[in-house]
Amino acid sequence: MRSPLARAQGLGSAKGGVKHWWAERASAVALVPLTLWLLGSIVAHTGGDYATVIGWLKTPLASLSMIVLLLALFHHTALGLQVVIEDYVHSDAKFAAVIAVRLGCLSLASAGVVATLQIAFSR
Amino acid sequence: MDSKPTILGVTAGRPRPLSPNIQIYRPQLTSVLSIANRITSVVLSLGAVGLVIWLTAAAMGPRAYGEVQGVVVSWGGRIVLFGFTFAFFMHLCGGIRHLVWDTVHGFELRSIYISGWAVVAGSVVLTLAAWAASLLLAG
Amino acid sequence: MIIESSDQVPRVTLLKRFPVPRNFKVTPQSRIEKGRTWPAPADASRLKAFEVYRYDPESDRNPRIDTFEVDLDDCGPMVLDALIWIKNKVDPTLAFRRSCREGVCGSCAMNMDGTNWLACTRFISDMSKPATIYPLANLPIIKDLVPDTTHLFAQYEIIQPWLHAETPTPEKERLQSPQERSQLDGYYECILCFCCTSGCPSHWWNGDRFLGPAALLQAWRWLADSRDEAEEERLDTLEDPFRLYRCHTILNCTRTCPKGLNPGKAIAEIKKMVIEREG
Repeated sequence: MRSPLARAQGLGSAKGGVKHWWAERASAVALVPLTLWLLGSIVAHTGGDYATVIGWLKTPLASLSMIVLLLALFHHTALGLQVVIEDYVHSDAKFAAVIAVRLGCLSLASAGVVATLQIAFSR
Repeated sequence: MDSKPTILGVTAGRPRPLSPNIQIYRPQLTSVLSIANRITSVVLSLGAVGLVIWLTAAAMGPRAYGEVQGVVVSWGGRIVLFGFTFAFFMHLCGGIRHLVWDTVHGFELRSIYISGWAVVAGSVVLTLAAWAASLLLAG
Repeated sequence: MIIESSDQVPRVTLLKRFPVPRNFKVTPQSRIEKGRTWPAPADASRLKAFEVYRYDPESDRNPRIDTFEVDLDDCGPMVLDALIWIKNKVDPTLAFRRSCREGVCGSCAMNMDGTNWLACTRFISDMSKPATIYPLANLPIIKDLVPDTTHLFAQYEIIQPWLHAETPTPEKERLQSPQERSQLDGYYECILCFCCTSGCPSHWWNGDRFLGPAALLQAWRWLADSRDEAEEERLDTLEDPFRLYRCHTILNCTRTCPKGLNPGKAIAEIKKMVIEREG
């Protein structure tokens, strides 16, 4: 039987949240050139065979760009999906869902980085 | 006004009904572009998974790569890829619009509407341009 | 296609409502039933149909939509005039808030043809056929078009809308240059009608914790006031993943403000101030 003010106050301000907002923006800014680079490369290599694609990807510049892209991409994805879940999921499932998304993004980013390194160091 | 406990309040012993919101609120450029940006973000998350699958296949060798590429260049795959391209450009243009707002610029209604239509037009134009370039380069 | 100010009524409607089920996320007690059609006045040459949301807390019935035929030659030009005509001539039990009838008190805020605005400054001639009148969106309804705004005012109270100054009161005024005073323009004029907050999808889904555009615009009003000395405490109160950061710049608020104010911009200013104090 709380007063309207107490109910609106909830547990009070978390006095935080800007880090998440800032990281989302920083990764977004990084992703603008990186994703355009990826798209441009894919378009430029349309119809290329396996050897051509590997030849492009194993260069130091391409490998590095791909790794930075994967890190920025999955960081941005994890932050964005966390916000979506917080918006729509209000049960206890919210915490499990956010953890799942973060772990999933971490795993996928790692898998992508490993694959890129394998290609970079292949014969 | 006699408000009792529960967030909805109570009148004459009955919990108060909630007035309709999304069921009746008019879709406007503001809300439509915003939800479109969110939908594209979810679509692109799936695309990110696809990217990792593609990279892993490439790392595994020509046979695995060939299988994945087969799906990509199939008719269904191309339609999905076209959709992803459109989602990418819409999220890119929408994202840039958001980044401009973060500098506290472009908030007058006129600017909101002009930048909004620019996002729609830009997404379509860039998607078509990317695919045209791809078709031209493929010969 | 390009909206220049919030009082512009759209000429073209591509979509009247979002493609969700009619009773999407609607609790059983909020489900709207079929209502009655009230008899049209005899010998009236210009009639307009109004579909109005009704709810009687003293009956056992759910909310419903009643249809009224309003004699346009017998009532004033605004939607509020039509509601008053209905109450005088057809159904005296129709309940709605009103006071100034000139767009400065905020009492008659309601949802007309799908958007929130003040009934006293919305022309009947700008309404569609039939005109649809609902209460402000996503609020508990006391009766008919009268919403319970207790929670919204509680959220306003959280941002402490009064001057915080430790510096003792000077003999005359706390001085402010014209430039400093101009920082309040576009924010002090808010009439707390809550059209913005009630039209914000983020507040629909997280209104228990997200403060909403009205409270946040006023929070910026106090942050922007050069005489205020409590920026630190104010920003501490606001910097929260839900209180402030549920705003995703959807901008329904700026689109719907009947006073032409810009809550979206005010919130962006708050976020910028939070970043500035970070480093």
